[in-house]
Amino acid sequence: MSLRALTLVQEKYPDAFVEQYTDRTGGAWGVLKPESLRQVLAHVKDDPQLDFKLFLSIDAVDRLQLPDNDPRFEVVYFLYSVSHREHLRLKVRVSEATPEVPSVTSIFQGANWWERFVWDFYGIRFSGHPDLRRILMYEEFKGHPLRKDYPLRERQPLIPERPIRDIFRGPGTSGTA
Amino acid sequence: MAHADEREIEELPPDEDSELEAHLQTKRMLINLGPSHPAMHGTVRMKVELEGEIIVRADPEIGFLHRGFQKSCENVTWNQCLPYTDRLNYVSAIMNNLGFLNAVEKLVGLEIPERAQYIRVAASELHRMHDHLTCVGAIGLELGGFSAFLYAIEGRELIMDRVSELTGARLTTTFGRVGGLNRDLPEGWVDRVHKTLDKIHELLGEVDGLLTNNRIFVDRMRGTGIITAQDALDFGFTGPCLRANGIKYDVRKASPYWVYDRMDFDVPIGENGDNYDRYLMRMEELKQSEKIVRQALREAPPGPIIVDDWRIALPPKAEVYGTIEGVISHFKLVMEGVPVPPGEVYDCTEAANGELGWYLVSDGSGRPYKVHVRAPGFAILSGVPRMIEGRMLADVIPTFDTINMIGGEVEQ
Amino acid sequence: MSESDGKKPTGDAQPPPPGAPTVHPAAQTGPSPSNPPPSPTASGPRAGIEHQPPAAKPPQPLPTPGGKPAPKHPGFVTVTVDGKELVAKPGENMVDAAKKVGSDIPYYCYHPRLSIAANCRMCLVEVSNSPKLVPACQTPMAEGMVIHTRNPRVQESQRAVMEFLLLNHPVDCSICDQAGECKLQDYYQRHDYRSSRLEGEKVLRGKRKVLGPTVVLDQERCVQCTRCVRFMAEVAREPQLGMFGRGSAEYIDTFPGKQLDSNYSGNTVDICPVGALLNRDFRFRARSWFLSAAPSVCTGCSRGCSTFVDFMGEDTYRYRPRENERINKSWMCDQGRLSYKYVNQHRIAAAMVGRAEDRREATVQEALKSVAEQFKALAGTEGLAVLASPLASNEDLLATLAFARDALGLRSVYVSGRPEGAGDHYLMTPDKNPNRRGLEWVARGLDLSLKPFSELGQAINAGRVKALYAIGGEVPVDPSLVAHGFARLEYLVLQASNESAITAQAHVLLPSAVHVEDEGTFTNLDGITQRFRRAYPPSADVRPHWAWAVQLAQEFGFPWMHTSARDVFREWGPRVAELASFDWDGAAPPLKVTRGLNPLPTGADGRPPGYREFGPPRVRGI
Repeated sequence: MSLRALTLVQEKYPDAFVEQYTDRTGGAWGVLKPESLRQVLAHVKDDPQLDFKLFLSIDAVDRLQLPDNDPRFEVVYFLYSVSHREHLRLKVRVSEATPEVPSVTSIFQGANWWERFVWDFYGIRFSGHPDLRRILMYEEFKGHPLRKDYPLRERQPLIPERPIRDIFRGPGTSGTA
Repeated sequence: MAHADEREIEELPPDEDSELEAHLQTKRMLINLGPSHPAMHGTVRMKVELEGEIIVRADPEIGFLHRGFQKSCENVTWNQCLPYTDRLNYVSAIMNNLGFLNAVEKLVGLEIPERAQYIRVAASELHRMHDHLTCVGAIGLELGGFSAFLYAIEGRELIMDRVSELTGARLTTTFGRVGGLNRDLPEGWVDRVHKTLDKIHELLGEVDGLLTNNRIFVDRMRGTGIITAQDALDFGFTGPCLRANGIKYDVRKASPYWVYDRMDFDVPIGENGDNYDRYLMRMEELKQSEKIVRQALREAPPGPIIVDDWRIALPPKAEVYGTIEGVISHFKLVMEGVPVPPGEVYDCTEAANGELGWYLVSDGSGRPYKVHVRAPGFAILSGVPRMIEGRMLADVIPTFDTINMIGGEVEQ
Repeated sequence: MSESDGKKPTGDAQPPPPGAPTVHPAAQTGPSPSNPPPSPTASGPRAGIEHQPPAAKPPQPLPTPGGKPAPKHPGFVTVTVDGKELVAKPGENMVDAAKKVGSDIPYYCYHPRLSIAANCRMCLVEVSNSPKLVPACQTPMAEGMVIHTRNPRVQESQRAVMEFLLLNHPVDCSICDQAGECKLQDYYQRHDYRSSRLEGEKVLRGKRKVLGPTVVLDQERCVQCTRCVRFMAEVAREPQLGMFGRGSAEYIDTFPGKQLDSNYSGNTVDICPVGALLNRDFRFRARSWFLSAAPSVCTGCSRGCSTFVDFMGEDTYRYRPRENERINKSWMCDQGRLSYKYVNQHRIAAAMVGRAEDRREATVQEALKSVAEQFKALAGTEGLAVLASPLASNEDLLATLAFARDALGLRSVYVSGRPEGAGDHYLMTPDKNPNRRGLEWVARGLDLSLKPFSELGQAINAGRVKALYAIGGEVPVDPSLVAHGFARLEYLVLQASNESAITAQAHVLLPSAVHVEDEGTFTNLDGITQRFRRAYPPSADVRPHWAWAVQLAQEFGFPWMHTSARDVFREWGPRVAELASFDWDGAAPPLKVTRGLNPLPTGADGRPPGYREFGPPRVRGI
């Protein structure tokens, strides 16, 4: 779908991509090197041939339980070009040891909250972000709940919960895994 | 006396250097809007720093309605995600259900039956009307026009009745299944929908008459909550909020899904990007949606409503109770879920508030590995500080109304 | 099902050849029985496969037509599976080999540890040197062979076989214990997924045929794969099952006048690919979807078979054998299989203080304080003895014996444990204690000598032992006799998991965890040390032996801060020569706990939906 765009970027920045591939449904993906992320995003926004001005979203995938899980995290970026009517799907792979990606908030203001979201739920830092706080979870929260190793039924109440007798300590309870 | 001063300021443009402002001794004041306030649409807390009555800094704080949508979805089967998607934008639940299913079907590589596509279009547009009616009514209410609200809510109730006949629930519809729909249109439903649309048409006329040219209403709406087209794109505004800036982007037109390419409708475009334009967008979309619903219901062909593939869709009950093939398929689908092949997909539909994007990752099991939802409201709310900073405190309310902030989808 | 070569109960055994690459593949696996070669000119051992006359009209052109191709990788067989090159060892089974390149060939009757029957026809694949589809499990791979496991022809064959197998299958999934782990379900969904075309009635056969003490057979569900028949003849070496009748009236049964009473009959349930053979103990107890599994070790005897513990909530439902080439292959005995019950039944839940009518429930702190007080007075005196159990894990023993030596000043401990029982010809050993070797090693490592249980009885009778610290409540002789003897003790501290006659005599009774409730290691009679994983945590006051020992030591003022079995092993494990090189973390079973399919909603009580009105389906007390 956005193969054209990826080819154009590739021409401009031949070293920016780790790989490009097309998923099973026909969507083209570009996997960027973290260091070239800002450069490429600024370019696709300003180049009239690309014109990816509409910023859609950022999220991450914890590939822990997938067969190919090194590096562990993938940060995904979705952009849209209104004039060319196409989506742009970009990825940056981040390792568990140094979960840090350059922030693109200065290029797209909308990235601000999405980057906070990814930090909140995956613990991936965005260097250069003006205000990297948790966004949906509370400040006192420990851990990053969308990581695959965060137990489903872990509870971190701010106010102690009433004890309920004979409650089932089932899958996902901390301490049983 | 102070009261009088404030009134004076209100009438002046905020950036004008006037004498009154020069000697006014005001301290910066932090005000807490929400989280529990009817005008905050859900439970959003907004920390607003005021200089007099002008907002210097606004910091929306969200998360009070966070339910762990993604984590929950990762631990249930694909079809079991549907009730969770109901609760994203709970004012137009069907559009979330069907948008999610559309993405899953794209990941599976499924073509759903034509009748199901038509019904999906009709049901989505009904819920778009539902959403816009709620929004328009709430704008009227919060700017002081109770009757407009009542008219809008009357129309909304009628849609809810039709939706509950169709899906069995007023709000949390859980409509559709991977591969099509879970139930066909009830008998006599199409006629009732046409009557409902007639009535809503009439009610919209009333709302239009009460609000659109109302001096008080227009004064509060026009020129408030402005965002430039550049900023709107930057923040990721989509839907009516983006189109109010004159940018013609509607997923239904840009990359039509289901049978939208066969539907005859127009996409309204604004020019100023202010509250009034956003309101007009919604009023016009209501009329366009009505057209689409009528057309879709008129043209829907007879036929199956779900694919006939026992790996995807549940077998008919007679087969489940009577044959081993049926019971195996039923067991496998219920307990293990639809086996979506490994892969990833980004897919989007046009929800009431804009592009509802889904980034799904499957590991080949019956459960999603990752369900990213690009809720339109999240992006729009992140742009709210830009729309209200430097403006009057009173502008917060119409701005919040016209962007139609829905806590459920923003806070997942 | 034209080439019905596989109805022989025992099949034609084909032992896999030794992996020496010089061995000629076909010479070891014998001629290909399922595909009688049309060529009569069988001159060499490979003739049947390699020298196909061109008149055989292969569906695909042979990659190397004519002549014997030179092996691409000398010493190995190189074939192409679904377009991917596969280098296999000579004699390797096609089903196993194809899996390595991602081609899953479906099968029912094939089992890597049994002889080949090739009678289910599910594994039919297309190979380049045969005009007909051939069973993958039985066909030796030849150099240059091109194998298709999922082209339309093979898929249609798989679909047809599935339809055929389900033709007379009863509509039983809702009441069948196998549902969820049934190959019919898996393969139907993968290879058939079409509606039934059956007109008329299904063939009815025996619905509840009790074969023996452990196993019940539903002949209607059987697909006649003969895995059970082959298992009993070849592995258990007690041929008790046979195949009777012909055609659609064919059925599995015991030989006339016999019943399936072998100690290995439970394995037939495990290898049954469908729900025909069911375990009478597990029957109707739980849906397999809801069960979670943790890798563990059987505690039934000193063999230490690797197992899975299947559990739901905080109850164990069954043991299943886990593959372990060094110990139990894929099997386990029925006695071990049923030995899980003590994990659920008559468990001690709270600490008790006082004997007979003085007995009352005590908090953990209270019990520990009173024990520490008494022990401090008794430490180092003649009258105090320690009784260690060979049922406890190495970590339990390391901590408790270290406590006995360092805090109580003992030089020797007595050994308790379950009484000697019967052994058998295969896996079961007479010693019913899983960790006797471990106890010997640990005692030696900590410079303690072991004394037999009989000496303890004499010492108590002679009045030399007045106070006893017993780890584990199992004794090698009649518990009521022991209880009588223990009644003479002035002070008995007992750490036990289950109620018995002896626990009644304890002055302080401390509830201990069982192996499924903690991590740890057992050393079997051959000196193989195995890790087991925790299935679920023990209930509130129950804790493992090592934790009691550590807490008692803290009461004594020792700076012991161990919080897990791992800590305990890291501290004392290196002092035991045999365990010093044991890699505790690395030896953990690679499989972590696999969770039951349905994660239960927050706050749910572990009961599957729909069961709520019947009360909790706990197995305790059954």
